[in-house]
Amino acid sequence: MFYRLSGVYHTNYISDSRIYKVPADRNLALALLVLGVAAPFIAPSLYVNSYMLPWLIWTSAALGLNLVTGWAGQLHLGYAAVMAVGAYSAIHAARFGVPWEFALIIGGLSASVIGSLFAFAALRAKGLYLALTTLAMQFIMDWVLTHSPAISGGSHASLQAPTLKLLGQEITSDTGLYYVALAWCLLVTIFMLNLKRTGLGRALVAVREKDYAAAILGVHSFYYKIVAFAMSSFIGGVSGALLVATFFFLAAPEQFSVAVSIQALAMVIVGGLGSIIGSYFGVALILLVPGLVNGVVVTASEQLGMQINVETLAHIPNAVYGALIVIILLIEPLGLGKLYGNIRDYLMVWPFDQLRK
Amino acid sequence: MDPVFLAELAINGALTGLLYSLFAIGLVLIYKASSVPNLAQGGLTMVGAYVVLALARDVGMPLWLAIPIAVAIMFGLGFGIERVALRRLAGRPVVMILMITLGLDIFLRGTTLAVWGGTSRSMELGVSYEPLFLGDILVSRIHLVGAFVAVMFFAAFLLFFRTRLGIKLRAIADDYMASWSVGISVERGIGLSWGLASVVAVSAGVIWGEIQGVDQALSLLLLKGLTVAVLGGLDSILGAIVAGIILGVVENVGADFLDPLVGGGSRELIVAAVLILTIMIRPHGLFGRHDIERV
Amino acid sequence: MSMEDQTVAEPILSMNSVEVLYDNVLLAIKGVSIEVPKGKMVALLGSNGAGKSTTLKAISGLLKAERGHISRGEIRFRGTAITEVLAQNRVEMGICHVIEGRRVFEHLTPDENLIAAAPLGMNRAALNAEKDRIYNYFPRLAERRNSLAGYLSGGEQQMLAIGRALVTQPDLLMLDEPSLGLAPFLVAEIFDMIKKINREEGLSVLLVEQNALAALEVVSDGYLIENGRVVMHDTAEALKANSDIQDFYLGGKEGSNFHNVKHYSRRKRWLS
Repeated sequence: MFYRLSGVYHTNYISDSRIYKVPADRNLALALLVLGVAAPFIAPSLYVNSYMLPWLIWTSAALGLNLVTGWAGQLHLGYAAVMAVGAYSAIHAARFGVPWEFALIIGGLSASVIGSLFAFAALRAKGLYLALTTLAMQFIMDWVLTHSPAISGGSHASLQAPTLKLLGQEITSDTGLYYVALAWCLLVTIFMLNLKRTGLGRALVAVREKDYAAAILGVHSFYYKIVAFAMSSFIGGVSGALLVATFFFLAAPEQFSVAVSIQALAMVIVGGLGSIIGSYFGVALILLVPGLVNGVVVTASEQLGMQINVETLAHIPNAVYGALIVIILLIEPLGLGKLYGNIRDYLMVWPFDQLRK
Repeated sequence: MDPVFLAELAINGALTGLLYSLFAIGLVLIYKASSVPNLAQGGLTMVGAYVVLALARDVGMPLWLAIPIAVAIMFGLGFGIERVALRRLAGRPVVMILMITLGLDIFLRGTTLAVWGGTSRSMELGVSYEPLFLGDILVSRIHLVGAFVAVMFFAAFLLFFRTRLGIKLRAIADDYMASWSVGISVERGIGLSWGLASVVAVSAGVIWGEIQGVDQALSLLLLKGLTVAVLGGLDSILGAIVAGIILGVVENVGADFLDPLVGGGSRELIVAAVLILTIMIRPHGLFGRHDIERV
Repeated sequence: MSMEDQTVAEPILSMNSVEVLYDNVLLAIKGVSIEVPKGKMVALLGSNGAGKSTTLKAISGLLKAERGHISRGEIRFRGTAITEVLAQNRVEMGICHVIEGRRVFEHLTPDENLIAAAPLGMNRAALNAEKDRIYNYFPRLAERRNSLAGYLSGGEQQMLAIGRALVTQPDLLMLDEPSLGLAPFLVAEIFDMIKKINREEGLSVLLVEQNALAALEVVSDGYLIENGRVVMHDTAEALKANSDIQDFYLGGKEGSNFHNVKHYSRRKRWLS
């Protein structure tokens, strides 16, 4: 009903390569944007800041990982390490007195540099072996973080982030922090939407499909692998810095551990490799649903008057989180983005679905 | 450096390494049959240890009975995991297969801890903690027992792969289509490899549970197990044994040199470095098959 | 052989207007009907992509491994419908498919290749007798029984693939392009051996070949498949004498070629 392809004609290439080919998609995106901007005024600030804000920042991070894993097809199990580099360098820069705007860029750039090291692993290894190499690199980064008090901030291994200050404004209010996250997420989303349409985006896809077949066609696969890792690391680094600046306020090594790398990859895969809207869904599912299920279990047990062991309650979210990954992959290996696509395709022709045949 | 001390480090390292091999054999069995890197092996090991404990403590069975029953249960669990989860993803890109095994790992760990709680429990195998003296060299008894179990598994699998069932399993590892064409049930074969890997996981869980207690940390063996499996060549059981010994010695001796320099905790660093170097220099490992990729 | 003889003899395999779909969309064969009489050798001829291999996979059940399925029609083996039977059970029933490209178990020795194919129920003595039987047919294999199959020559690998199939005790042996990439004298040797096994053991054989000349020498009947349909069925003698077959599959006579419009249009009739 809402989606209609009839009456939408593309008479030139520019129109055909638009981001939203169907007007309904654009309207939906605009409506969501309005909702996102209005959120602090509609929803209680507790929800906005403890659910929506991390969701937005993790979505930007997941989009960055999607760039390298979904688009360029390079497995990455060390993304949290890259985020850590961004977070720690940005915070150290800010503590040193660098304005936050530049500190964030410093964070992004230093993450890019370290992230590009991962690309050198991708030069020699691919698939499973690349995944294992990046995993090992993550372990090394973890080790460096926990073993260098100069980076991680003294004996307690935690580093206080100075108050976020952008464009001369100190940002301390919940609403302000939320808007920072929203703006960054929008920026990354727009970048990714446009990347699809560029030669760079197509080259990355060529590298993913078969790197040396791409090389035969004149796509310099190693160059594009480095570019993919560098870009994704920049996004990851800034997202990591913002995560600490707007959400944790304290940086600690376990925020960027191996488990977090796996979580980031889970967000991308559950969302759907290469799917932008999918990353939004994937992050929401992995980040929020385990907590929700736990809440339901707690309420239900109280209602039924059952006593559930504290330890059991503490580990239910983990079990749910693992089960979600398995279930989604079994239902639709291409992820939530693909499920959304299926629904959209269905609506596109509804109620005339015989037209699809 | 004192040669006796060095020998002691090397021998104890080799024994610990064989315990990593015990873990790695599980990975190799599954990879060999189906080219699936089973990142849930850590979770399986943990479940294996908890099931033994549950049977021994909560049900009150003697250990000699609890372990075989746990083996049977875990065989069923492994077989079932393949049936329910992995079979449906056969032929999908490796990233999805990696993810589903990671998801399984998280799920198994979460469920185990939700059921039995996170406090560390002890296995109490009854092996004396008194060190054994081989001349001047101190050796841990439980490590010796574990190394013996690892070598026994190695010998058993060596024999198994010469039996008719074992040959069929190797045929499956070689070529699915050709296996189907002569009536070999590939699905059942891969299920069997999962079952066997879960059996190995019980033994790894019991031995490691005795050494470091039964808790969440058992699943952290994954990185070391993976390193051993990759260094040995992912599809070679002999490789897993040899690589285990090598990694154990390098780690133990290397840590002794490095720890004073970096202020302790260099073991993880050495393992990660060995993994990276192996993949960069010789991705198919010491004894692995070198497959050719075609455009 | 005349058409009357065929209807009298009970066919070991009959395929009745079978259609195969890959991935639910791609129609690979479109209503193929063939019969293999008991104890006879039948050839399926045709060019690349005509649907010959798909036909064999439909019979052996290996379609499933390639996301294909039979969407219409029926396959009967010794009178029982087998369309829904699993591939491994069809092997037990007596259908064995030697797939294209040899595909021996490269990391196993020829001995182990034969053991892998033997049913687990077969006892040790029977298994040894079976191995001796295969090595009797292919003495070259016996010499190399303990080296890795991956290192055998192409001809030896093909022999091993056939031997491996024979171990499963088939009543119907299906061979997919056994001559692929082999020297002509090896092709002759292998075809002679297949003929010999067919004669001595009464094994029915369904042979897919692009090398029509060699195939028509050994079979009694042939089907010509083009574009997923059977376009011709006759005895081997008649097919060899047919001028279209000569032009398109046997290399032709007196320098006729595809630039000849007349031939092209005749062949086009089949392809449409």
